Amino acid sequence: MRFGVGLFSLQCTAMQPRHWTGAYRDMRELAILMEELGYDELWLSEHHFFYDGYCPALLPAAASVLSVTERLRVGTGMLLLPMYDPERLSAVATDLAHRSGGRLDLGVGLGYRDIEFDGHGVSRKQRLPRMLKGLEVLEAAEAAGGPRVWMGAQLVEPVKRAGQRGHPILFSAALPFERCRTLTEVWEEGWAESGRPASQKPALGALRNIWLTEDAKEREAARDWVRASYVQYAGLGWTLPAIGEHQQQDYADETDKAIADTVETTISGSAEECVRQLQQFEAIGIKEIAFRLILDGEPRPALESQLRRLADGVLPRLRDKVPA
Amino acid sequence: MARLAEAHGLFGVLAGTTTGAVYASTATDFVRIAVQVRLGQEHPVTIAEELSILDNVNNGRTVVLVDTAELSAGEAADEVAVIREALGNRPLRHEGPRWKTPAGLPANATAPKAIAVTPKPAQLEVPVWITGSAAASVGSELALPVLARKPEQASGERYVQPAVAGIRGDMKEDRELVSRWAEAGATHLLLELAAGADEAAVLTMVSRYLAPEVGMPHFPRVMSDSKVPLPWPGDEARRS
Repeated sequence: MRFGVGLFSLQCTAMQPRHWTGAYRDMRELAILMEELGYDELWLSEHHFFYDGYCPALLPAAASVLSVTERLRVGTGMLLLPMYDPERLSAVATDLAHRSGGRLDLGVGLGYRDIEFDGHGVSRKQRLPRMLKGLEVLEAAEAAGGPRVWMGAQLVEPVKRAGQRGHPILFSAALPFERCRTLTEVWEEGWAESGRPASQKPALGALRNIWLTEDAKEREAARDWVRASYVQYAGLGWTLPAIGEHQQQDYADETDKAIADTVETTISGSAEECVRQLQQFEAIGIKEIAFRLILDGEPRPALESQLRRLADGVLPRLRDKVPA
Repeated sequence: MARLAEAHGLFGVLAGTTTGAVYASTATDFVRIAVQVRLGQEHPVTIAEELSILDNVNNGRTVVLVDTAELSAGEAADEVAVIREALGNRPLRHEGPRWKTPAGLPANATAPKAIAVTPKPAQLEVPVWITGSAAASVGSELALPVLARKPEQASGERYVQPAVAGIRGDMKEDRELVSRWAEAGATHLLLELAAGADEAAVLTMVSRYLAPEVGMPHFPRVMSDSKVPLPWPGDEARRS
């Protein structure tokens, strides 16, 4: 397995105020620490026009990390493709991939907030055609040595489409394990339909809320930081629709329930317990885990402590013998 | 190059892309990071968002050199106006000949009539300089500095008058060139080094001779012409 950390969104929230410039400096410092500790990837997240400065431009943010590291990969999780000119985006991403020695993973998603489309002069009705057009451009760039394209998707059709097009997915941390299993099967169907050989199948990825501790008070605090970080999604108006037997999670209108359900996805306990739960993901083909450790209200010493603990207690027992 | 420029005390470096500007930013602490932005390739709000991230990465050292490219003067002025308004501290609601932002498209039913581009830059106001075929008109309309390419284009009235000049590494010629620009009113001179130039040698000439000479009226040249102070023993390589 491979391990990353996210989601770096560079926010200055009402609950945890700080200077934006400090947020970008902290990210660079944490990236250097992650590299020293043996992590594989840092994942960024994008939104626009949000009060707290939620990072709206992932490639410059990625460049800032790539410029101060030598081995760590940086992934966009996810860059909202329909809002960009695909040709320019592709040129910038390819330049960054080359500058960094191929360490950029270009994760792309649709976006869902009207304000974000309108602020960029894009009709929400056009988001799927623009997404598909953008993917064509990025796929051509990838084939010519540009960055690997990942996709963010939580519903059956887009997940299947990602499989058909050969793109790995990074599943949301809000998805319980069983929902990840269902969607992984959907992705596998898409891959099989495309006729691509199984030997070329990329590993899928998943963000996971996790906190390695056997201390009850620390566990309680960490779960509360998870709760607080998902309050952001209420403000962002996110909804995760129902699919099959899996229920809807509506952060805007059923905030408390959606957040409580999500907090329950948190993997917490001893190193053995964390390893056991992560092995379940490995067993269904999800071999790239991004620990979702950037939480609202979480002090930096707690984050650094957790990075070290996971690096000591979990990574050596699960990671690939020869890092890719 | 950015580190070299900083080591020689130059005011800034020019990067051709935002990515290059980010790399120059994290490699330095003090120099201004001038970044070229070519209009007409992306929505100006996206450009402003990228510039704001750059400015936060370099802690407020960004200077934007806008190239009006293929746009008409009216289109370019409108696009620059959106970029500047988006970087500013008031809600953005713009309606001009080229851009309406927010667009107010029917399918985006829940979108408000104004937006706030965040994060804000680290600087109170990001300097914007203009170049390109429509630069004179745009600079005049928006009261922004225009990059001078000939001394006669420079204005001694402007607080900031950027200019660009090719430098050859020849002391006599370059001294005359820089003096001409200073007399014309240039305040910030972007130096284009000849291909294959010894960058360290050229920047040493600039920092030891040319910059002091235009930085102080009646500069006593004995201070530049004197022998270079000895290095700390064992530190010769670093000093050279």
